[in-house]
Amino acid sequence: MRVIALILAVVFFVLGILYGWGKINFFTESGAAHTHHITHLVICWVLALLCLIWARFQSTPTRSVR
Amino acid sequence: MTFGQAIALALLQGVSELFPVSSLGHTILVPALLHWQNVQRSSPSFLAFVVVLHLGTALALIAYYRDEWYAIARALIASVVRGRLSDDRSERIGWRLVVGTIPVGILGVIFEAPVRRLFGSPAPAAIFLLINGLVMFAGEALRRRQHASGQRYKPIEDLSYPASVLIGVAQGLALLPGISRSGISMVAGLLFDLDHENAAHYSFLLATPVILAAGLLEIPKLLVPEAHVVLVEGVAGGIAAGIAAYLSVAFLMRYFRSNDLRPFGWYCVVVGAISFFLARKGIIT
Repeated sequence: MRVIALILAVVFFVLGILYGWGKINFFTESGAAHTHHITHLVICWVLALLCLIWARFQSTPTRSVR
Repeated sequence: MTFGQAIALALLQGVSELFPVSSLGHTILVPALLHWQNVQRSSPSFLAFVVVLHLGTALALIAYYRDEWYAIARALIASVVRGRLSDDRSERIGWRLVVGTIPVGILGVIFEAPVRRLFGSPAPAAIFLLINGLVMFAGEALRRRQHASGQRYKPIEDLSYPASVLIGVAQGLALLPGISRSGISMVAGLLFDLDHENAAHYSFLLATPVILAAGLLEIPKLLVPEAHVVLVEGVAGGIAAGIAAYLSVAFLMRYFRSNDLRPFGWYCVVVGAISFFLARKGIIT
């Protein structure tokens, strides 16, 4: 699971860069202003960060603390 | 947009964002009902104005729940540093909010623009407002059926993660003008065994990062030259929306201690039906 989380983090990070760069336009408004792509960049990087947090939880014993 | 219209729209936004009656639907229907032809929803100055209203509303929610947000932020950071989950109440609520916010964010990014293009006029907003009312009646009826057998209510921290995701997905339906963010997520919370007070509490906590992000991500719209036209209206509107939102959440948290969603359901059904009739007759456009 940790590997999957890390792969997803990298994928979202790269997707964010591609959105910010304007190289991809999936799920964007056609002819949209630049700000819309920045929104996608931010969302992708937030998802990448969450994947890294998920990986962090996978890297330690799963027993919960009280 | 005149100063008076700006304040009226700000108060409307601040109240209807948190009351389960759809702010988006009301900001389409009310200017149409009042024939405010000068309020162009797609103009850069109006979009900038809406950004400020969202920020005012989000800051009001953060201010109202400031102690809880502080505890949640501390608990989340501590759990990430530790790399393990604990049974701390704030941490459990915090991760449920994180998990519930993901679907709202994804649905918003994918569907916000096409939904606005397809349904951003009074007739669809009226229909969805009517549907919003019916959803509240259905939710209340299902909740009563579930708890007729004496089934106990859960605290927020005992929501399952799948339930948190589904409540988030339900909140994503608020992209449709007329569907209330707080209403639909409260109904989903009720169906996952929260009582009214906890469902409202969780709904407001879940709405906070979404409304704040909606405001922050659109900040570039404040930087366009046309936005400076509404600078005074924007600042006054943001403050008015914040005050209205703060008073609304204070009122609603007291209201839901002993009341349910049905009065709001009636309001949505009646106003939605009348607005749809007026839109069909061409009286509001």
